Amino acid sequence: MKKSKVLTTAALVLTLALAGCSSKEKEEKSAEAAEPSTTVTVYSAGPDGLAANIQEAFEQQTGIKVEMFQGTTGKILSRLEAEKNNPVADVVVLASVASMDGLKAADQLQSYKEAKNADKINAEWSDAEGYYYGYSASALGIVYNTKNAAEAPKEWADLAQPQWQNKINIPDPSLSGSAVDFLFGYTEADGTAWNTMEQWKSNGLQVNGANKEALDAVITGEKDITIAGVDYMAYKAKASGEPVDIVYPASGTVVSPRAVAIMKESKHVDAAQAYVDFLLSDEGQALVAEAYLLPGNEAIAVKDRATLDEIPQLEVKWQGAEQKQVDVLTKFIELFR
Amino acid sequence: MVMESKRSFILLIAIVSTFAIAPIIAIVFYTFVQDGQLNMEQLQRLFSQNRLWQTLSNSLLLGLFVIIGTTIIAFPMALIRTKTSLAKYNWLDIVLTIPFMTPPYIGSMGWILFMQHNGFLQQLLPSTAWLSELFFKLFGMVLIMSLHLFPFLYLMLKNTLLRINGSFLDAALIFGKGAWRNWFKIVLPLTVSSYVLGSLLIFIKTLAEFGTPATFGSRIGFQVFTTEIHSYLSRWPVDIRMATSLSLFLLSICLIIWYFQNWIGRKYTYGVLSGKTPALREIREPWFIKLGAWLFVTIILLLSIAVPYFSIIVTSLQKVRGDGLQAGNFTLAAYGEIFTAGSAGFTAFMNSFVFSILTAIITAVLGLCIALYVKKGQTKKQQLLDFFSLTPNIIPGIVFVVGLIMFWNSPLLPFTIYNTKAMVVVTYCVLFLPYSVQYTKSAFTQLDASIFQSAAIFGRNKWAVYVQIIIPLLMQGIVAGMMMTFIISMRELVAGLLILPPSVETGATFIYSQFEQGNVSVGMAVAVMTVIITVLFMFLLEWMQRGGKQTNA
Repeated sequence: MKKSKVLTTAALVLTLALAGCSSKEKEEKSAEAAEPSTTVTVYSAGPDGLAANIQEAFEQQTGIKVEMFQGTTGKILSRLEAEKNNPVADVVVLASVASMDGLKAADQLQSYKEAKNADKINAEWSDAEGYYYGYSASALGIVYNTKNAAEAPKEWADLAQPQWQNKINIPDPSLSGSAVDFLFGYTEADGTAWNTMEQWKSNGLQVNGANKEALDAVITGEKDITIAGVDYMAYKAKASGEPVDIVYPASGTVVSPRAVAIMKESKHVDAAQAYVDFLLSDEGQALVAEAYLLPGNEAIAVKDRATLDEIPQLEVKWQGAEQKQVDVLTKFIELFR
Repeated sequence: MVMESKRSFILLIAIVSTFAIAPIIAIVFYTFVQDGQLNMEQLQRLFSQNRLWQTLSNSLLLGLFVIIGTTIIAFPMALIRTKTSLAKYNWLDIVLTIPFMTPPYIGSMGWILFMQHNGFLQQLLPSTAWLSELFFKLFGMVLIMSLHLFPFLYLMLKNTLLRINGSFLDAALIFGKGAWRNWFKIVLPLTVSSYVLGSLLIFIKTLAEFGTPATFGSRIGFQVFTTEIHSYLSRWPVDIRMATSLSLFLLSICLIIWYFQNWIGRKYTYGVLSGKTPALREIREPWFIKLGAWLFVTIILLLSIAVPYFSIIVTSLQKVRGDGLQAGNFTLAAYGEIFTAGSAGFTAFMNSFVFSILTAIITAVLGLCIALYVKKGQTKKQQLLDFFSLTPNIIPGIVFVVGLIMFWNSPLLPFTIYNTKAMVVVTYCVLFLPYSVQYTKSAFTQLDASIFQSAAIFGRNKWAVYVQIIIPLLMQGIVAGMMMTFIISMRELVAGLLILPPSVETGATFIYSQFEQGNVSVGMAVAVMTVIITVLFMFLLEWMQRGGKQTNA
């Protein structure tokens, strides 16, 4: 039975190859426990370019290799859920503080109170016990196509007017953490919000995928307006010559912090802490500003965009908001499906 | 004679079941077992959801419409390619498979960019604005999916028609009562069974499709099973149990259709292969038929290839997307970006390339062993192995992916390949094993028994018989299977979206994520590269098959 021998060998090689891939990593991990970690696994919810720049600068500065998984906030949370039995993430970066607070409540994070520069970071965006830090934020606004919209709308309610019929969209809140933040903040602060949203719906509001997909529709002129568009993407598109601009309604909008935290199950705690330190450092904060986001440290100058105090804000409290956010999201989905 | 040992059976069945059956068991387990106890509540939760019925009716409706759509395209096309003077243009067959080889999500993105308000069509012809309204409905989705899937049905119908062309038509000409009567009484009934088989296959393929529903369907708020499963797994709040039970539901539907298809296959298939090759007659037809045929082919090629590729290529070349089609608004910057060594796009593309080649090699080896064992599937064991190795064909990819995630995350396993690149290759192998099994098996059935007998007599030993006689004879089938696996792996999207480890992207997920959060032009440049590689491989495959035929003859 020579053939079966060959087969056995082939199968063995295959299995060993597969097993090798994973057992090697396990060995690495156990060996690393005593010595300083050489890698750190980061699950990061965009923005694309920023995450890559931070990774590069961090690797250069510390010599620690970053394994990066990029996705939307929803994708990262679901991945964490699926991997509960074999956690790999050391650091998570989410585009929604409420979700981050949910992770803390579910006992999935660990505190890092001693983070360097922690005192310079906006306290409203961060956890008082040091479980997570709002290292940056985006503000949500009305993004419009400058060619098609002769006059920019001024208020959220304006978008219920017939002139914007079938020309408005919103990022899908089940894909975009910042869009959930907007829905939550807007409905909390404004009693008539649901009413306005129903008017948007009858005005032909389209729910349009993740943030970039919604913005792209405005860039190409398919739609004129994105409601609750993330500002940094709009500023970036504007800087590269696209015909878009953004306004923040005077009645106030939501500033959606993006938070970083260390997973409780992290096997590279030292490297994870170094990563958090780097995000909060002046260098990391400058990279944040470079990506047109609002830095968590207000002392860092922003680039070609509105500063935090120029943006009229709605009163929003993020801590403990996760369940309320789920309710708002469910209600929204039911309204629009 | 060979490959019949019990040991090789156990080994093969062990490999196939770990890869292909265990994931399904994991899904069942995760759905019904909670804290170590059997729990049926999940089913209640599933069935009490209104959205389930909405999703079910959406999926079935879509499948039905796509069958109609593909029929409208494939049937005339098959007639044109067998009954008119266009029958001699064999290059048309390669061109007609391009739509099927185009990754569906790329095709739909192309259509969206073309048809949307202020899209390319409206920039070229502003008076067509009303079309856009019409297009972004279920109609548009059916059109896109039909244009993607019709080559399947077309090839099946064409082959049946070609076979009937032989002795059956001669008999009909001699005994029949005129061309039209022959046509209705002989040709149509003989094509019915292959049509039904083909359209059920289209139905299953439509149910399993993720790319188009995810891009176009989400745009018009049309949810189907695949997108629902994906969203329970990747959207917040996550509900994995709902995803597994939905997968189970979809799986059951596909098994029912597959059973139905088998039943029809057994009951209504006639032997149309009479051994007589059809005489190649010079076909003459009236000018209007010729004109109509060319017109039809041109329209289909325009819709299925020209439109999506126009959008993809233009988008990859645009400087300022908001400026639209304007002289001076073009740049090769996106290509420059992906061809910079180490850029995210290039790395993603290379990952796809490596994963696909590994998958092609592994499935070829496994497929060969399985085909050698199964042969014509006469014993129960052979049939069992055959069935197991072909299950990924019946079961939608996303169901397998969900199962693999559950399986490799199970706390019972001593080690896991989850979150490694090996997981990607394993998943691809599971999904695409049927291709190599089928190609190798069909090459195997062409070998005459006398080859084995003479080999057994003259061969030095069994190993030499394999290496020197059988494998070389099967080589063409094996390589064809490998190419096909490679092409399909290059475009796999949903597996990548759900299982890629950190720091790893494939071409498909890169393109997808550029639409979600990044730079659409760069995404489209990677799409163009993927498609060029695919088409190159297709031509290579065609060239090899032609070469093979000539040497055989």
